[in-house]
Amino acid sequence: MALRTGVSRLDDDADLAGTALTLARRFASGATMWCLAPEWPEHGRHVAVEFVHPVIMGKRALPSVSIEGSGAAARLRSNARSGDILLAVASSSDPTVCDVMQRAPAWGVTSVWIGAGPRPPSRSADYLLWSEEASALGRHDGSMVFAYHVLWELVHVCFEHPGLLRPVDDTCDLDSTCITCSDEGRLGEVASMVAPSVASVRTARGVEEVDTTLVDPVPPGSLVLIHGGVAITRVEATL
Amino acid sequence: MTDFLYPFIEGDERDTGPLLVDLARSAQAKHEESSALRDATLASQSAVVAAVADAMAARFAAGGRLFTFGNGGSATDAASVAALFAAPPEGRSVPARNLAEDPAILTALGNDVGFDLVFSRQIIAHGLRGDIALGISTSGGSRNVLAAMSEAHSRGLLTVGLAGYGGGELAQSPAVDHCLVVEADSVHRIQETQAALACAVWLAVQERLEDVDA
Repeated sequence: MALRTGVSRLDDDADLAGTALTLARRFASGATMWCLAPEWPEHGRHVAVEFVHPVIMGKRALPSVSIEGSGAAARLRSNARSGDILLAVASSSDPTVCDVMQRAPAWGVTSVWIGAGPRPPSRSADYLLWSEEASALGRHDGSMVFAYHVLWELVHVCFEHPGLLRPVDDTCDLDSTCITCSDEGRLGEVASMVAPSVASVRTARGVEEVDTTLVDPVPPGSLVLIHGGVAITRVEATL
Repeated sequence: MTDFLYPFIEGDERDTGPLLVDLARSAQAKHEESSALRDATLASQSAVVAAVADAMAARFAAGGRLFTFGNGGSATDAASVAALFAAPPEGRSVPARNLAEDPAILTALGNDVGFDLVFSRQIIAHGLRGDIALGISTSGGSRNVLAAMSEAHSRGLLTVGLAGYGGGELAQSPAVDHCLVVEADSVHRIQETQAALACAVWLAVQERLEDVDA
């Protein structure tokens, strides 16, 4: 085993740019960032302290929290609000991260996944900050730290451009002609059954009552695709 | 009249294109900066790395344990170093843990005796002659890290510092046996290179422990 020359690099620097702008917009709208790194808790904490207590005097403190230990998904579910950010630092095979990444759209949470080695599927997070070069020392040698340090630095560059931080309406409206929604439906997470074949379902828009005739039974926690007030299919876990 | 100097002063900027290009370019420049600092520091500190590894390997071979500590991002870096030694991706594991880990301990000590003593009090409780104290401070001036180094030194622990900004007080302290120094003035770039230095130490310790085992 040997230490690589230089810091390992993300596959695409443009990914960092787009992620930073979205994070700055979310923070400007009041988001909290939830940091999750089950295999490498030091990284979740490092990201959180970075944003809450900036090392550069005068930079604004941004709400960021490290979520650790068992029950991370349950605590995220109860704490995260629509518009928040989920940032994971983890390998693509981390079962907790795979699970919450899949649920994030139902919670209305923007997801960022930082990692190295085999890439997760391209749509498993809103933003993948990835280095396919896998190194046994990558967790420890400063490469992960570099990725989120630069992300923090770029987010604060974005704050110097207030005109670009105004809320962007990037949510789909079911009543209009959103092709994505009318074709595919929106992701929801079943909270409870409120009547036979009627579930209370959490979506990015809030809590909705949804007809589950087509997908019954759907225990709490099930993910479903909703179209026109009807759960049209169940979404199975990716891992 | 001066609007041309500050075209977006009213927050009228709308086109994200130029900013995104700047951000990507900036990320690339930071990568080059961090990589250059890392490589230059690994080269300039190689003799210190070897000396630290010699001393640490001798302690580990004799049953010594490693205690790491630091504040903020350095607390998490201390966790990373402790994990690398205690649960390495391969090779021999040795006893190592981070003293900046447990909120019950940190708040009890911070509340009762003051934050300057949160690490030194733990050294008093745990440290034995033959153990190793590794303190991380990007400024080189963290009071609680310096206090723990003094306590550790007086108790016969090997004391190793990891510091930025030219080393600060940590590099000057007579209580610090060895200090690895990153010559830079950006906390972020310092931390990234400190992590690489710690890995270099770990690799060199592994080599020496293999020789001991052989």
